[in-house]
Amino acid sequence: MINSQNIHDGAPIRRRSGRQRRKQLAGLLFIAPALILVATFFVIPLGMAFWMSLHNWPLLGRPRFIGFGNYIRLTQDAQFWSSMRFTVYYTVIVTIAIFAVAFPLALFAEKAHRFTKFYRTAFFLPVVVGFGSASLLWAWLLDVDSGLFSPAAEYLGLMTTRINLLADFDTTFWSIIIMVVWKTAGFNMIILLTGLQGISTEVQEAARIDGASSLQRFRRITLPLMRRTIALALILSVSGSMLAFDQFYIIADGGPQNRTVTAVYWIFSQSFGSFRLGYGAALSMVLLVILVFISVVQLRLLRNPEGM
Amino acid sequence: MTGSIHEKAKIELRDVRKSFGAVNVIQGLDLTIEGGEFVVFVGPSGCGKSTLLRMIAGLEDVTSGDILIAGRDVTDLDPSRRGIAMVFQSYALYPHMNVRENLSFGLEMAKTPRDEIERQVQAAAQILKIEPLLDRRPGQLSGGQRQRVAIGRAIVRKPLAFLFDEPLSNLDAELRVSMRIEIARLHRELGNTMIYVTHDQTEAMTLSDRIVVLRDGVIEQVGTPREVYEDPNNLFVAGFIGSPRMNFVDAVYMAKNHIGVADAVMPIPQPLIGISEGENVKLGIRPEHLTVGDRRKDALRVKVDFSEYLGSTRYIYCYLPSGEMLTVEQRDGRYFSPGEEAWLSCEPECLRLFTADGRRLRPAALHVEATP
Repeated sequence: MINSQNIHDGAPIRRRSGRQRRKQLAGLLFIAPALILVATFFVIPLGMAFWMSLHNWPLLGRPRFIGFGNYIRLTQDAQFWSSMRFTVYYTVIVTIAIFAVAFPLALFAEKAHRFTKFYRTAFFLPVVVGFGSASLLWAWLLDVDSGLFSPAAEYLGLMTTRINLLADFDTTFWSIIIMVVWKTAGFNMIILLTGLQGISTEVQEAARIDGASSLQRFRRITLPLMRRTIALALILSVSGSMLAFDQFYIIADGGPQNRTVTAVYWIFSQSFGSFRLGYGAALSMVLLVILVFISVVQLRLLRNPEGM
Repeated sequence: MTGSIHEKAKIELRDVRKSFGAVNVIQGLDLTIEGGEFVVFVGPSGCGKSTLLRMIAGLEDVTSGDILIAGRDVTDLDPSRRGIAMVFQSYALYPHMNVRENLSFGLEMAKTPRDEIERQVQAAAQILKIEPLLDRRPGQLSGGQRQRVAIGRAIVRKPLAFLFDEPLSNLDAELRVSMRIEIARLHRELGNTMIYVTHDQTEAMTLSDRIVVLRDGVIEQVGTPREVYEDPNNLFVAGFIGSPRMNFVDAVYMAKNHIGVADAVMPIPQPLIGISEGENVKLGIRPEHLTVGDRRKDALRVKVDFSEYLGSTRYIYCYLPSGEMLTVEQRDGRYFSPGEEAWLSCEPECLRLFTADGRRLRPAALHVEATP
């Protein structure tokens, strides 16, 4: 039986749900441009790459569906796993090196000096140079004959003969590390600087009054309050390093003896050197999963505690 | 350095100056704060009151002069070694630590034994009634609770003196009143020297033993709330202390203990010193000292502009024929409509007179050297 109360209550509920629907529609319209962009340039290509990875897909000729054949094959690809190990090694070293340089720079640039703006600009300047251009510049600097470092060292009497820095794994690797730190420390400095500036001066002063030394303040106040900023800088640095390619391709060409072949370098050479696009796509998917996993772990570890 | 919780440290400022480049923020201050005294620094924005407090705390370098706490020169000492604790306007709690950790941080830095830390944290929590909040983080507390924790953090250090930098500014009106009472109670219970910076006159008047009125880095007057309110040294102090502010009107000093104001001649109790007949003066009258009465020779004729009803009182804003505005605090409930003519009178003892450049003119018999 329908009573008058039900009939009376029904109308406002319908009106409210109509209003909610309009609100939802407005919300969808607002995020539509972002959704379209993400779908067009990320989700659809990702789906296509996954689809490609299930095929034997030559550059020319008909693709052939092989299911997870590429994935099974990559488990036995020694060069892929070797390049993966090298990429992880490089990521760990370069991330530590970048933080070791960027954090002191951020601490220095945060303090008000006479030339603060100049320092910040100077530290950030290498960031605006493209990775390719920076790699070409350093390839020239490292060249044994026409470069700068070896001839300069010989000229200054630091070495008796010129040494080809790119002939040995260690010198190649560390030269590239130095170049990457030079190129990216400024960017990380800016991220860390925003985190430092986000910490209330009064909190630091309260810690001073509480008797904390500079080191204790850094360890007990600054670092914990920068968890989210550090997480952001770390994720950007780790994901960027895991995708390293240009510098190893341009400066070292994967050498010496293929020892500086990174994961992306191997994907590139498989896809566009050997024209195995399907296999390259499968390698890319595996790299993507590894990167997502690393990022999730980092985010979880560096998440702010509740109530902060 | 920490002292007994009941230790009452005297704080002395000797010719203290502070400059930022060419700008002199504090211009040679001398001030002695007795042990156990509650002193409030008040003044308009930019007068240097917070800078002065920060100099006492050691958070700001002193350009010249000396600061002594409990007889010890602390001018160049680190903040943590001055025996002070500070409560900040923004609370400045450590957001990543819970209340217990916030309270114990200073003691940890001082390498206090664990059980002693726990005992002191519990004692402070008990005083401030924050025991149930000990495991919460600052982000999970209300403004009032955060301020209590900030005060608790100061208490556990057992300082020689407490410094408060506008601690209630971020609280709503109701909470501000209750926290004000708590701070007053805390001072009564602990008995420490306390310096409190505020721009809120009610806080200054209600909390302090003495008020220090600052302007442009200079002390304009030091005195008890009653002295500063009733016997201001100059036009600035008279106008700054009191809400609504003191009325100021142009007047002329006349013979036979009288002054001429607009078309009225008002008597003053005694002749003034430092002024001669016919000279222009500024007359100051507090709104509560003006009464609306009958037409008289010594009453000011005004035209009512509008009035504000505040429950127990009503403010009437009116104009003299010269165009000068007067505020009257009226408590008798009479209503005046805009445009209505009224006559205002004031007891001669309540009139305050100042020179044109703002110095206080005192009756010859009462003349005392201005403080400081």
